[in-house]
Amino acid sequence: MTMRCTVQGLGWVTTAGHGRRGEGRACVFTHGPLPKPPACASLAGGLRRFGRLDAYTRLGLAAIALALEDADLAKWNQKRFLGLVTATETGCFKTDEKYCHTMLPDGGRFASPNLFAYTLPNCMLGEASIHFGLSGPQFVVEDAGSDMLAGVRAGLDMLRFGLCDTVVAGVCNTFIESDTIAGRCPPGAAFFVLAKDSAGELSLDGDTLRWRDKPVASLASLVNAVGDTGRAS
Amino acid sequence: MKQVHLAHWACVTPLGAGLDALWRALLEGRDAFRPVRRFATDAYVNNLATCLPELDNPGKTTRLQTLLDMLPAASLPLPGDTLLFTASTKAGIDQLETRLRGGAARMNEILPAHLPEIVARRLAIPRVGRNISAACASGGVALCLAATRVAAGDAPCAVVCGLDLVTEFVFSGFSALKALSPTRCRPFDIHRDGLLLGEAAAVAVLADAAHLDRMGLESLGMVSGWGISSDASHITAPSREGEGLVRAVRQALKVAGIAPEHIAGIIAHGTGTVYNDAMEIEAFSRVFGNSAPRMAGLKGALGHSMGACGVIEALVAARSGRHALLPPTCGLQAPEPAVANQVSSSPQPLGAGCVLSTNSGFGGINAALVVDAVK
Repeated sequence: MTMRCTVQGLGWVTTAGHGRRGEGRACVFTHGPLPKPPACASLAGGLRRFGRLDAYTRLGLAAIALALEDADLAKWNQKRFLGLVTATETGCFKTDEKYCHTMLPDGGRFASPNLFAYTLPNCMLGEASIHFGLSGPQFVVEDAGSDMLAGVRAGLDMLRFGLCDTVVAGVCNTFIESDTIAGRCPPGAAFFVLAKDSAGELSLDGDTLRWRDKPVASLASLVNAVGDTGRAS
Repeated sequence: MKQVHLAHWACVTPLGAGLDALWRALLEGRDAFRPVRRFATDAYVNNLATCLPELDNPGKTTRLQTLLDMLPAASLPLPGDTLLFTASTKAGIDQLETRLRGGAARMNEILPAHLPEIVARRLAIPRVGRNISAACASGGVALCLAATRVAAGDAPCAVVCGLDLVTEFVFSGFSALKALSPTRCRPFDIHRDGLLLGEAAAVAVLADAAHLDRMGLESLGMVSGWGISSDASHITAPSREGEGLVRAVRQALKVAGIAPEHIAGIIAHGTGTVYNDAMEIEAFSRVFGNSAPRMAGLKGALGHSMGACGVIEALVAARSGRHALLPPTCGLQAPEPAVANQVSSSPQPLGAGCVLSTNSGFGGINAALVVDAVK
């Protein structure tokens, strides 16, 4: 069964910068250190702890914030039943390392509970849910596929199986120095706000993702294709 | 929608290998807690966990590989398009500890994203799948996703492998969070004071009856309903009202097409922490009202095996429905008054109906599965 949806919002943060639909910025995923996450309006004020969060959570939150702002869904009064899913390969490996450095000395006496809480990659989704009032299904797909589309596919599946009608789906990978561990996916985050729509331009048939009926080869190509469409009025 | 049957392929727990051995041990009310030998626990609030002795000194290999090697060697005649879902929170995170201590480490075991490759190779599954990370609900969420795909006809068969290890990384973390019990794990007990950890691997197969038959696997029951939701209000503490679990259970009942009174029993998440168990009690009270079904928690016997627990608990839920018998809640001495008629330290007979299995995790994730037993 082919699942179709419309893209209501898009936000991305990569080594080359950040963007949303219609801003004319090309999205490129390359290996290398990421810039500081952008100061998103919807993250200001309400999330004073943003600067103290781990790099993975900051990166994911920034891209989700951009996508929700683009979809006019960043502001809320009541919790919304929106799904939330991300793919990741490297997840919170950097936080794992930092936590280990608090655990290894002194027989673990000074292991940091604050860092430990963020050694699960879904806690980034939890932070997004708290900040943006999301209450739908959520989980992380840990996947090393080079097309980085596992999260978008999982999001479309959530729509297809009726787990929710709107989902925020994408990918989030932090930068890891190459001498530590070999990550196949370049760092960066991109999230789409997808809404079930039988006439939508994004579709999933089996494992094949299509944008305007043409197969999508990679996350970057999908971001650029959607980004060129401009923001929906 | 196609019918989705649930079968046990393999499980390795500190209470025995295979579902038969585990089931017998659970009914006998045994637990597997022993002092941890593989790292020093002097700085932590307890020294108990359920560990597999074979993993204490894995020699030249790793704990993760040793655990996988303990699964049965025989492969199954799986269809070529079988889907694989692994469910693990931290995979081989002990290798990061080894590396940072200056030892030789297998770095490919650290990232859970690479776990499906390792599991697919070990179980001879043609297609590499994905790891589902949803904290302590990982196994439950993976089963929900697998069930949806098989029910939709995307693939004739899905394999769900849940596993996690007892590592100093996780042990120290729960100790630092004050979530580890200083005494013992007592789910739904009025004096409960925390969880204890465990390690395990469990492999479930979801398929239609004909495919299970061809693979020589016995159906334990049908997965007839599933639900996933979130209610994050704090990263490590559950919502007091349990609204996320309520939504997940109601969604699972809706998919199954049954009313709450058709649930005969519940295998709850039951970590033994004050707040998780209180949240579950509140959520089940909201869903089931005064006719709350009998309930059991397995973590007083097996410890909290994180990614594995959801898979083990679903298999035990199916077994419970099949035998119309709920295992005891090990460690229970003085039940919370609100569930005094639901939980027991002895096996409880079940009436006719389905069995519900639920899991909840950090980040506010909840998963619910309805298993309709084949008797």
